[in-house]
Amino acid sequence: MRTKRWIRCRGVSGLVALFLCVVATRLLAGQGAAPSKERADDAAAFKEFSARVQAYVKVQQTVESSLPALKPTDLPEMITAHQQALARKIREARPRAKPGDIFTPAAREAFRHASRAALEGPRSANSRAYMKPGAADSTMLLVVNGIYPDTEPITALSPALLTAFPPLPVEVAYRVVGRTLIVIDVKSRLVVDVARLILPPAS
Amino acid sequence: MRRRGVLSLVLLAVVTLVVSASGAADFAFPLQANSVRLAAIGDMGTGEQPQIDVAQQMVKSRKAFPFEFVITLGDNIYTGSQPSDFEKAFAVPYKLLLDAGVQFYATLGNHDTTNERFYKPFNMNGANYYTYKKGHVRFFALDSNYMDPKQTAWIETQLREAGNGDWKICYFHHPLYSSGRYHGPAIDLRKVLEPLFVKYGVDVVFSGHDHVFERIRPQKGIYYFIEGASGSLRAGNLAPSAITAKGFDTDRSFMMIEFAGDDMYFQTTSRTGVAVDSGVIHRTIRPASGGVAHE
Repeated sequence: MRTKRWIRCRGVSGLVALFLCVVATRLLAGQGAAPSKERADDAAAFKEFSARVQAYVKVQQTVESSLPALKPTDLPEMITAHQQALARKIREARPRAKPGDIFTPAAREAFRHASRAALEGPRSANSRAYMKPGAADSTMLLVVNGIYPDTEPITALSPALLTAFPPLPVEVAYRVVGRTLIVIDVKSRLVVDVARLILPPAS
Repeated sequence: MRRRGVLSLVLLAVVTLVVSASGAADFAFPLQANSVRLAAIGDMGTGEQPQIDVAQQMVKSRKAFPFEFVITLGDNIYTGSQPSDFEKAFAVPYKLLLDAGVQFYATLGNHDTTNERFYKPFNMNGANYYTYKKGHVRFFALDSNYMDPKQTAWIETQLREAGNGDWKICYFHHPLYSSGRYHGPAIDLRKVLEPLFVKYGVDVVFSGHDHVFERIRPQKGIYYFIEGASGSLRAGNLAPSAITAKGFDTDRSFMMIEFAGDDMYFQTTSRTGVAVDSGVIHRTIRPASGGVAHE
């Protein structure tokens, strides 16, 4: 009788142990899956971001091809005229452009993860320091299809950050103002898209 | 009594002038045939009187040291990107040099707009970063605002392909080493560029950004200069440190440089014409080591 109870007891303990093992294994597997899923989501979001940037660049190139080519010139008036005409025509080509057209919600999340990885923690102090001095005024008004002001300094971008972000074609570039990430059109200085609260807060 | 006081003051002024003048006169450029002669200016584009004073001093100095071109270390135009800004901050101050055929080779600072690369007098030919050769000196002008993997790969390729025969000179806005209190060194950028500079035997690096002049003691065999006071100035901003070989932060300045064979002669001159630093750097041809400076 006692032996039977002992066997039953051991059987139950074994089942409990097996159950706990299975649960623990599933939990551990889940923990590993979360970052890899996040990585996959970010990679997909960056891919979509790059495709949207390419679509913008196609518009920009089409528009620019209708203007006299900007070549090195002694006349700054020519540079200004090209910049202004290009900006006007791009605005006409995408009149309903709005925040999020290029920085989709998933892309914003992916940029947040990449920024955090590049700029957070004690080992990233140099990267943050590089972007700080002479930085752009974080109260600057930034709107899609607006002009990035030419009287404000630009924030130098940490090489670590530029390595973590998807590469951009030469027609556009990243800019950072405070915690906001921007894609600007380099020649027209148009703000192509704005994503706020991307960079980690200053520690 | 008063006459003796005045006499003492006059004597002191004369002595001061002699010391200043001797500082300038002590140093002589060799002015060798086929040497490469240039000036370096940085953070100059204010369009204000101190910039004009420096430009005028450059014209005066050019009579004794006929430099052929000028490298700019960024912040070429502070005020904006309108045609009047190009006039005020560049074309007018350097008119006499431009009229004399002196060429400028610019880099972009954090106050510059990228469209400056299309301004012909800056010789950037529409590129943010570029390379060119003068005599036996190869120059690499970089864009330190945006050191993305593409630019890093480009500089590595260019340095490698340049071989070891010529001097290798890099210049860009943000200094890898600096004792300036306001900005200080761009350590993040240093992590990316210094290994390449060491690997491919860069000899000298010029930067701006901190509004002072500073000559840095050789770091891993490479000489670094900051000339960020050719228009703007942060007086008293230099906190000389163990890496400082020489500093000047009480007035604006510019540099003159001559590459004669394996020697680089340099002099930094204030806007009043006083030589505040000078010396010679001797280069031994090698892929990854520095030369010896004689002050």
